[in-house]
Amino acid sequence: MTHNNPGDGDGRINRRQMMSLFGAGGAVAIAGCIGGDDPRSSDGDIQFLTMGVGDNIEEFFEENNAAFEEEYDVELDFTSVTWDNAQSTLNTRVDGGEAPDVSRLPARWIPEFAGKEALVPLDEMMEGEFGDRFYEGLVESNYYDGHYYGAPWAQSNKCLYYNKDVFEEAGLDPEDPGLDTWDDMLEAAIEIRDNASTSAYGLPANAALETGSQYYHYHWSFGADLVDDGSPVVNSDEGVEALSFYSDLVQDHEITQPSPLSSSRQDVRRLFENGDLGMVIAHVYAGLNIEDSDQDFDYGIVQVPEGPAGRYNLSTVDSLVIYTQTENEDLARDLFRFYYDEERRFEYSQSKGFLPVLESVADRDFFTEDENWAPFVEASEYARSRPKIPSFNEFNNRVVTAIQEAVGGEKSAQDALDDAQADLEEILE
Amino acid sequence: MSSVKQEYNDRPTDSRIEWLRTEVWESYAPYLLIAPAIVFLLSVVAYPILETFRLSLYQSPTNSPVETYVGVEHYVTILQSEIFYQLLWQTGRWVAVSVMLKTVLGLLIAVHLNQEIAGRKFFRTAFLIPWGIPYAISAVVFRWIHHPQYGSLNAILLELGLISSPIGVLGNPSTAWFGAVLADVWIGTPFMAIIFLAGLQSIPDDLYEAAAIDGAEWWHQFRYITLPQLKSVILIATLLATIWTFVSFDVIWTMTRGGPMNSSATLVIWIYRVAFDQGSLGEAAAYSVIGFAFLLVFAVLYLRLYTRGGESL
Repeated sequence: MTHNNPGDGDGRINRRQMMSLFGAGGAVAIAGCIGGDDPRSSDGDIQFLTMGVGDNIEEFFEENNAAFEEEYDVELDFTSVTWDNAQSTLNTRVDGGEAPDVSRLPARWIPEFAGKEALVPLDEMMEGEFGDRFYEGLVESNYYDGHYYGAPWAQSNKCLYYNKDVFEEAGLDPEDPGLDTWDDMLEAAIEIRDNASTSAYGLPANAALETGSQYYHYHWSFGADLVDDGSPVVNSDEGVEALSFYSDLVQDHEITQPSPLSSSRQDVRRLFENGDLGMVIAHVYAGLNIEDSDQDFDYGIVQVPEGPAGRYNLSTVDSLVIYTQTENEDLARDLFRFYYDEERRFEYSQSKGFLPVLESVADRDFFTEDENWAPFVEASEYARSRPKIPSFNEFNNRVVTAIQEAVGGEKSAQDALDDAQADLEEILE
Repeated sequence: MSSVKQEYNDRPTDSRIEWLRTEVWESYAPYLLIAPAIVFLLSVVAYPILETFRLSLYQSPTNSPVETYVGVEHYVTILQSEIFYQLLWQTGRWVAVSVMLKTVLGLLIAVHLNQEIAGRKFFRTAFLIPWGIPYAISAVVFRWIHHPQYGSLNAILLELGLISSPIGVLGNPSTAWFGAVLADVWIGTPFMAIIFLAGLQSIPDDLYEAAAIDGAEWWHQFRYITLPQLKSVILIATLLATIWTFVSFDVIWTMTRGGPMNSSATLVIWIYRVAFDQGSLGEAAAYSVIGFAFLLVFAVLYLRLYTRGGESL
């Protein structure tokens, strides 16, 4: 059929043709929704998949991958995906029988992939000399259902940054900020709100993972927990108290940047790095970024404040794992040994801004003496991980909705957490 | 027909075999010739649809390698959940507002570009640019425009004195979806404009000349010549826009991830979250089938409406 001119009365499309057009569109849509692509690019001897390899670390991998290829006389197929796509990529590849041989992944995904029997248990390695070199807590974060499924690859935790110039403007003592507890933090923030020209405190509440990862500091330090013996316990009295305190920062005290619900973790970090924020809870790289930039304000770093039940620091551990679909398990173990070489680990932590996972690396002066790094090394003392449950994402998404409801003033902390608790009980059933 | 066959039947046996051969060939040849196309269509159209439907009957949980048959359980769960109805409303709102704005703006632009204006060629090219930029990139740009601290939208509103402190369009559950609609309209309008423009150019000038002689005003010419002549183009364009907007993922995901509090999530965003964030492929497939059914019903009703009384498109 000729249909050169869409407006031409003769070039009409009949109903059947329309339906077939629609059918194709619909099928593509559906396939696009749940289908996956095959990202396996080439078949090297061993495939190594990792995430978020940016400019600062690209060279490190290029050089070391080449060195590995030469040392073992093999071909290494190295892929980096963005963090946004990481989980779907790994799930699709594992489910599709196209898993990489080795990959990095956050330790909290281990229950999910171990549950699919997709990961090789690494008990022998982690219980032996190889495993002894790591911090014990980090090794434990890879333990699930009786086995060690990964080796800690990177860890991150957070500290409270404050802008000394803003503190001075607000009449606070920049050298002795007194930010030990949440109440101290709130007091300082109120002073900044009233006397300085920038927002006092950065509170991100837009995307799921980071909204939870900021709030959980409060939740735990007020004595609340997320899961107890496999059951959700988010709406305990302590939890309600924590979320009330947290949402009051926005609703009652108005000490945060405008519109926390549209701010991501990156947004508030950027605000602080630009000198437009009094305080923020952030990773080590916020400080490293400021050092590298031409910003000329002074900042200080203290521990995440303490609550009535103590001080907790959300620690995130990424691990290196081997997939059961591999046909090169020995070579995969060689890749482990290669990349866990002490010098390589030192170079990696230094350039990426992740805390060292090997004790011998963390003990080096580079980390213990540096004012940007030392507080974060100390923060490991207060480390606490997210709960290990297979449906953590679904769980976290639901809690985050409750946090957003309270922070956005849609519901009281009590109502938001009660509703979340009811839904979480179903999720964890 | 029968007399012809009778004539063939009277022929000797070898001719009858010949006849049979011809008959068979003539009956089956067309099918044989289109077989490759059918196989291709079945594999790229029918198979994904059937596979999605099959998957929707299975439990594919995060912690098990085995698919378990659960029948229509996913559908029951979905239909009983509050979020499903919230998603329907939000998807409908997103599609209706976005397609309506794209159509109206596209028509306005097309009508203008169809007139002898200075720099017409430049504008025709310039208007196509948004359509050529990858959706995700446009969405990131719009996220920046909406940014409470660094965005131009707030800067302009503050400068004009319309607001006293920055607002976060994407952070407010009642406005986040509209922030995404603005981006989607900006991206999608050029396509509509170009299609409408092509349609406008095919309308014979003498219709307008005759109308002008009869004393018809601009509005009457538009109402009684342009719109009826453009009817089939508008129908195709809005149908395509509706399908594209319904399944649109990049813009919302990049700008709001469906948040805050799921207020800007559509069915497609939810399908992604259920499948890849929560790892439940079976339930996501059930959502996909429901979404597919909605599009199908929509298309059938749409076509019924426009082909009423035996009129073809």
